Amino acid sequence: MDLAHGVQLVSFGILAAIAIVAALGVVLLQNIVYSAFLLGGVFASMAGMYLLLNGDFVAAAQLIIYVGAVNVLILFGIMLVNKQQDFPAIKGMWIRKGATALVGAGLLVLLAGTIVTTPWAISTATPTGDGSTLKIGEHFFSDFLLPFELASVLLLIAMVGAIVLARREFVPEDTPTTEEELAFKLPERPRETAAIAGGSQTSPE
Amino acid sequence: MLSALILIPFIGAGLLAVLPNRFSSSQVKWVAIAIASLAFVVNIIVGYQFDPNQISFQFEEVIPWIDGIGFNYHLGIDGLSLSLLFLNSFLTVLALMSSDRDLPRPRLYYALMLLINVGVSGAFIAQDLLLFFLFYELEIIPLYLLIAIWGGKRRAYAATKFLIYTAVSGILILAAFLGIAFLSGANTFDYETLRSAGLPFEIQLVLLIALLIGFGIKIPVFPFHTWLPDAHVEASTPVSMLLAGVLLKLGTYGLLRFGLGLFLEAWSYLAPWLAVAAAISALYGASCAIAQQDMKKVVAYSSIGHMAFILLSLAATTRLSIIATICQTIAHGLISALLFFLVGVVYKKTGSRDVNQLRGLLNPERGLPVTGSLTILAAMASAGIPGMVGFVAEFLVFRGSFPIFPIPTLFCMVGTGLTAVYFLLMINRVFFGRLSDMVTYLPPVGWGDRVPAIALSIIIFILGIQPNWMVRWSEAQVGRLIAPETVAQVTVLNPKGD
Amino acid sequence: MDVVTLASQLNAGTIIPEGIVTLTLLVVLVGDLIAGRKSASWLPYVAIVGLLGAIAALFVQWNGTSDTIAFLGAFNGDALSIVFRGIVVLSTIITVLVSISYVRQSGTSLSEFLSILLAATIGGMFLCGASELVTVFIALETLSIASYLMTGYTKGDVRSNEAALKYLLIGAASSAVFLYGASLLYGLAGGETQLDRIGIALSQIETPAIAPVVALVFVICGIAFKLSAAPFHQWTPDVYEGSPTPVVAFLSVGSKAAGFAFAVRMLVTAFGSLTEQWHFIFAALAVLSMILGNAVALAQTSMKRLLAYSSIAQAGFVLIGLIAGTESGYASVIFYLFAYLFMNLGGFACVILFSLRTGTDRISDYAGLYQKDPLLTLTLSICLLSLGGIPPFVGFFGKIYLFWAGWQAELYGLVLLGLITSVISIYYYIRVVKMMVVKEPHEMSETVKNYPEVSWNLPGMRPLQVGIVLALVATSLVGILANPPIDLAKASVQRSPILQASISPAKEVAVSRFAPVQSSEFRVQN
Repeated sequence: MDLAHGVQLVSFGILAAIAIVAALGVVLLQNIVYSAFLLGGVFASMAGMYLLLNGDFVAAAQLIIYVGAVNVLILFGIMLVNKQQDFPAIKGMWIRKGATALVGAGLLVLLAGTIVTTPWAISTATPTGDGSTLKIGEHFFSDFLLPFELASVLLLIAMVGAIVLARREFVPEDTPTTEEELAFKLPERPRETAAIAGGSQTSPE
Repeated sequence: MLSALILIPFIGAGLLAVLPNRFSSSQVKWVAIAIASLAFVVNIIVGYQFDPNQISFQFEEVIPWIDGIGFNYHLGIDGLSLSLLFLNSFLTVLALMSSDRDLPRPRLYYALMLLINVGVSGAFIAQDLLLFFLFYELEIIPLYLLIAIWGGKRRAYAATKFLIYTAVSGILILAAFLGIAFLSGANTFDYETLRSAGLPFEIQLVLLIALLIGFGIKIPVFPFHTWLPDAHVEASTPVSMLLAGVLLKLGTYGLLRFGLGLFLEAWSYLAPWLAVAAAISALYGASCAIAQQDMKKVVAYSSIGHMAFILLSLAATTRLSIIATICQTIAHGLISALLFFLVGVVYKKTGSRDVNQLRGLLNPERGLPVTGSLTILAAMASAGIPGMVGFVAEFLVFRGSFPIFPIPTLFCMVGTGLTAVYFLLMINRVFFGRLSDMVTYLPPVGWGDRVPAIALSIIIFILGIQPNWMVRWSEAQVGRLIAPETVAQVTVLNPKGD
Repeated sequence: MDVVTLASQLNAGTIIPEGIVTLTLLVVLVGDLIAGRKSASWLPYVAIVGLLGAIAALFVQWNGTSDTIAFLGAFNGDALSIVFRGIVVLSTIITVLVSISYVRQSGTSLSEFLSILLAATIGGMFLCGASELVTVFIALETLSIASYLMTGYTKGDVRSNEAALKYLLIGAASSAVFLYGASLLYGLAGGETQLDRIGIALSQIETPAIAPVVALVFVICGIAFKLSAAPFHQWTPDVYEGSPTPVVAFLSVGSKAAGFAFAVRMLVTAFGSLTEQWHFIFAALAVLSMILGNAVALAQTSMKRLLAYSSIAQAGFVLIGLIAGTESGYASVIFYLFAYLFMNLGGFACVILFSLRTGTDRISDYAGLYQKDPLLTLTLSICLLSLGGIPPFVGFFGKIYLFWAGWQAELYGLVLLGLITSVISIYYYIRVVKMMVVKEPHEMSETVKNYPEVSWNLPGMRPLQVGIVLALVATSLVGILANPPIDLAKASVQRSPILQASISPAKEVAVSRFAPVQSSEFRVQN
């Protein structure tokens, strides 16, 4: 084992440890702000992994998008809402937690077993290294052209949707005039909405 | 030609449904009767052109419907279908005539009645298994609505019960049909093709049992009968007439055409059990009828008992007993329709069907003398008094089945004897005795309430004296059903059975 | 690789229908920007014209070239995808027709609704033909995100918000699981993303490995969520109840059809070597869906929840055809979805109309409706009876064909279960019909007593009427004229190479084993 391999192995170990510890923290900590910051840690260590795999562009994208944008947005969201709410303790919570842990552990064992036992078809292509940006660009304009273009529709509609959800609604200008139109303007489901506000009705399953 | 039998009432039903509101209830009724009579006339023409000596199906029409699954719109009749077709169109006209003149929601009512006619006629002339099933299912929803909208107090319960039972019977039949079509490898639902597909015995047995339960619910055979009394009691008079007169016949027709016709081998294996089931049904129906307080329930249970005779003679599977099946089908159709009609008249005039309350209705001045006399006549016909159609049919049933299944036949004969008992009990309490002074004058029975009953009675008499007319279309073809390979040897039998 | 050869290799003509829909989307957005609020009167018609254009383009493609693979294998515009894309577009057209007045009454803007709906349509259409993992995922997400947005479109309504949040959370989770499964596939295939190559790679794994099965299970999680097959159905009732009704109409038909197309393509091409396994998993899903959907629907009091459970059950029925895996099996899936399109959208159109006029969707509020609104009563009754499989409506033929195909493939248990559960379904469908038709005038609900005068002249109502009448006519007549659509469905299966490759010769032999003579004769006749 030469020096490069040793460094790679050690870095992988450190990054993996950071990722696992941070991910556990995200799930287990009570304070949501801590969780959000630790999520940033998970993202950052993932970026490190990409670097180890010679994927410098992906690593940079991971940092910029996930750490720089998504995570910051999450923090903004948490801080803007800033609502403290004490949840009442649920009886027998430990059973649920135990069951969740059990299922999680089982899934882990299954997936780990899968990864270890599977004869993966390892790609023989040489890593591109510095040229990865170029390579990605080439793919975007050849065999991944369709998903690339489709993603633009996706982004467009996500933007439209975000605006729709975020903008303030204006009351329509035209007011109902005739009797008929008044009867027609009934909002849908007044009864259920009222019941929900009252919190009295339980919807039958 | 046969399509017209389906299309006339179908288009008529659509026409009635969109008739403008300004037509009164009785006007709508006359339009409906006109449509039904038109179908009846077509039926007569078909009967006139029918060649009783030709053994295969006649008036065949084949239009491919869904090629992919071998489903054709294939119509055709033989004598068996023809006699039932007649029964259906005739009883539909009478049922429409006996509907109330100022019925609420007439357009829907008459449209649904005609739809039932479509379904039943279609089922009788379909020569494709899926097509039969389609028509068989078609009649469910109209009948459900007819019971649920124009029924008695517990109509919702009765209608739902009817729906569930019939739907279950439908899926059993469909499962059996799918089974026949695939296991025979024929990849078609055509009746004639499937008849020649010889299936292994075990498969026949499984499929036949599904069919037996499916049609057994419809007939109904004990223990699948519980929907029928409820449905009859809650249904209005014309619906009861149709239900007892023709709808139940779908069950026996189905058994004869598909159960016996397609699985002859398994059928003869199961026949002793069927005979036992018929005997139990007959005795059960008769003994329940004795205990009933409601006139309509008496008739309903008697219907269960008499339908069992059809099953008995089907089980016997001799040439004579198959002829008996046809006779009994027609006889029961006419007699039970008449009985239900008369009970309906009594109920309309007195407001009650309770045998404990009604007394002395035969009173010539204040009572219902004509109705009463006709009821006595119908009861006699039902009990098998000679001279009427019931006698001929029941005699043939017992004559045909006795050599094969002596003991079940004897029990069924006891059932016939009990018929006289319960009807006499009922008549004795309702029509004889002193008319209560509380009742001053019952509303007069108009001609509208007499014509259907008299028409039915006349036919009952005529066919009783001249039973040949019932079977003249079918006797040549009976042999084909029970022994497909001996078609050539069919000889015309004496329907009297001696 | 220069631009010219690339352009010639792309075969971009295959996605002309999608291009037309995208163009329509842009016209709707820009038209709204330019014309402002007034544009609401003509934008829906632009959308409908665009969608009809897409149908026309699909029609041209149906008769067109045999070269269906486009974008270097990212998209496969074969006959199967054309039919499914047609179903998605048709469902959008009807949804647009019935949504105009609803969106107007809910006080939200129409153009954004239309553009999101069109985006969902584009996503669904691409999903029908996507044959490469990245395209599959992007198309799936386009459909999903647009669906989340539409679900929460009426912001003022608490229930709509709740529905959107639930849908988003469960949807995102199932997408994540699907993505994990896709990544396993990527690894197993040695860096291939095209489905057919993945299929080849998977079939070459000789030693029994667990990874393909894990990947299969994860992929099916993603698919079953879109199909709302039990046990991945939990979102369905809440989302159906809370979201705006036209959205539900689209989700229940368009989104589901796209999901089925995706399921067929993914499982048949990529998992061809695991056919037994996915048949087994889908059989379990079908059993659960049919039992659970039909049983729980019995207890519902809200019309939309009833239709939600009914749609779960219907998905179970359709799965029978998928599991059959024969030519008629796939054809019956297509035909049933085609039938389902009309009857279910007709049902939803009626629910929309009723809630517009009365503001409720409780089943008991429908009591005695026949007196006030015969057209609505007739259409809703016929659509529900058709869903229940009552002849002579189209649902009967669809079900018969499905069960026939299932029986032919020797899935006796599933078909019998389907028959039994369809009896249960008749019971709850007829309950609504009974409520509307059977109730006497004095049993009429308060809501129906206050029913407004039927008037189709109000803005937005005419298209709704067109939609309802269209659904009514199609539901009653397509069954009687069932042969052409079934031929179309069969032709689409016959002309799709991926399905032809998968229809296992073993099964054909099994069917014809009993009577080889008759069945071969039968084939000759066809």
